[in-house]
Amino acid sequence: MILSEEVQKFDLVILGKGAAAFSAAIKASELSNGEMTIAMVGTGQLGGTCVNVGCVPSKYLLEASHLVFRPGHSRMAGIYDTPVRHNFSEVMKGLRSYVTHARETKYAQVIENYRNVKLFTGLGKFVDKKTVALTGSDGNEIGRLSGSSILIATGSHPSVPNIEGLKDAGFLTSDTIWELNELPDSVAIIGGGAIGLEIGQALLHFGSKVTVIEALDSLLPQSEPEIQAALKKKLEEEGIRFHMRARVSAVHKSGEVKNIEVITHKGKENIGVKELIVATGRAPNTDNIGLEVAGVRTDSRGLIITSDTMKTSASGVYAAGDCVSKKMFLETLAAREGVIAVSNMFGEDMRIDYDSTVWAVFTSPQVAGVGMTENEFSMKNGSCSNRVFSLENLTKASIIGETEGIIKITVNPLDNRIAGMQIMAPNATDIITEGAYAVKNGYTIDDVIATSHIFPSMSEGIKLAAQSFIRDMSKMSCCVE
Amino acid sequence: MGEGRVKLRIYGMTCDDCVATVTRGLMDQDGVLDVRVSLEKRMGEVDIDPEKVKPEELLSNKVFKKPSHYTATLIDQ
Repeated sequence: MILSEEVQKFDLVILGKGAAAFSAAIKASELSNGEMTIAMVGTGQLGGTCVNVGCVPSKYLLEASHLVFRPGHSRMAGIYDTPVRHNFSEVMKGLRSYVTHARETKYAQVIENYRNVKLFTGLGKFVDKKTVALTGSDGNEIGRLSGSSILIATGSHPSVPNIEGLKDAGFLTSDTIWELNELPDSVAIIGGGAIGLEIGQALLHFGSKVTVIEALDSLLPQSEPEIQAALKKKLEEEGIRFHMRARVSAVHKSGEVKNIEVITHKGKENIGVKELIVATGRAPNTDNIGLEVAGVRTDSRGLIITSDTMKTSASGVYAAGDCVSKKMFLETLAAREGVIAVSNMFGEDMRIDYDSTVWAVFTSPQVAGVGMTENEFSMKNGSCSNRVFSLENLTKASIIGETEGIIKITVNPLDNRIAGMQIMAPNATDIITEGAYAVKNGYTIDDVIATSHIFPSMSEGIKLAAQSFIRDMSKMSCCVE
Repeated sequence: MGEGRVKLRIYGMTCDDCVATVTRGLMDQDGVLDVRVSLEKRMGEVDIDPEKVKPEELLSNKVFKKPSHYTATLIDQ
């Protein structure tokens, strides 16, 4: 099908249909009183990774798995372990139904209200700096679009390592696991990052035997060593088996069993499992979109290099989201980058601030962080000051019986301003926002201490963590300020 | 003195008074030599002295900043 022989002209062409694309399109519409003509181009589902195969289904699966697991693992005297009746297939059906609902209500129905935005299905590829050719699933060109400005927001996809026999044996990724209907009784996960640990714990809580194979010597490379160790201990106690500093050399299928050859410092070991999940990171969708024709530079991983204004090396071409070269790949960050890119097209001078961007891992307990780690601050400034506060000293954590967590605060020793905070706690993703305010606005530990916090609450832990810079909190009354 | 021509897409214009307001605002900017604004095309053509003003600086003109409801982007960059 040919859309048009002529090049269709727009004020803005957005390559992508995910979080960055949507936030950009909506911001551009608002800034132009709905007058900016916008083409949104992509091959995937509306909403991109987050709503379809990322944050939304993974959090649904985790929450469902906790509902199954926790009643069977009581933490209070007099409350007896109670097995929960459940049907994994029905849970997955509910998950897929919710994803469809979220996509429809948060993306499809939203964009319908913006008459200035036209959706195109197909792969957009630059033919010059201002023009993209649109190709259909058969590879044939179906039309051309040009834009005064162009935003590249093509996102990313799971990267799959080149392992002998892997493709033949078959595997799941964070793109495909949502189609599961039957719980695999045993699972091996290659990769001990956020995606691997979240999926691993969810399946464990439903009843799978889970083995995680990680190439590095620690989990969650972005987190503090104390959190890495505490989370690993917690997950091991729940039953996850870890192979650290391990490499998968080969995979082969024998009947219904996938045999994984793992090499560690102890030698070679074979693990037989029902299902294999690859969670070794994500790669940008920048290979086949003609970036070289447009003069858009990428780094060695194929990620698009931008300034902090989200401008690429080609004038008039911006980039946002998972296809951009940076350290953190988050839905919220993608949305922010989209807003910044578009605002700058209108002559604003907005810049992305990665230092106060919060990140999270939704395991139980959750992990969340903002700003610099102790090591990062020391490397940059020569020295730093930090404290690690154990949730064992937090009344609310003791009451609910979830004291495995910690709160670590890193401050600039010259002025006590908070440079970074990491939290491992049941609701770390909620209370980390206090850390984000602190890092963004340059609050000191005294500012945190002087701010009232609810007692008893998990957020009070942040105040006590700040107090631990001035006293030993393991030997302190809970009412002292 | 060199001369450059910048094309702007201008949003928020509804009448000839808008055209006059935007034109006057741009003409007041240092380095702007001449301005032609079209309501029908939602466009502006601005002749500039490139040594005094860069094309993207036109977007920061007061007429495109709040509380004004006009905004603009560059067409040819």
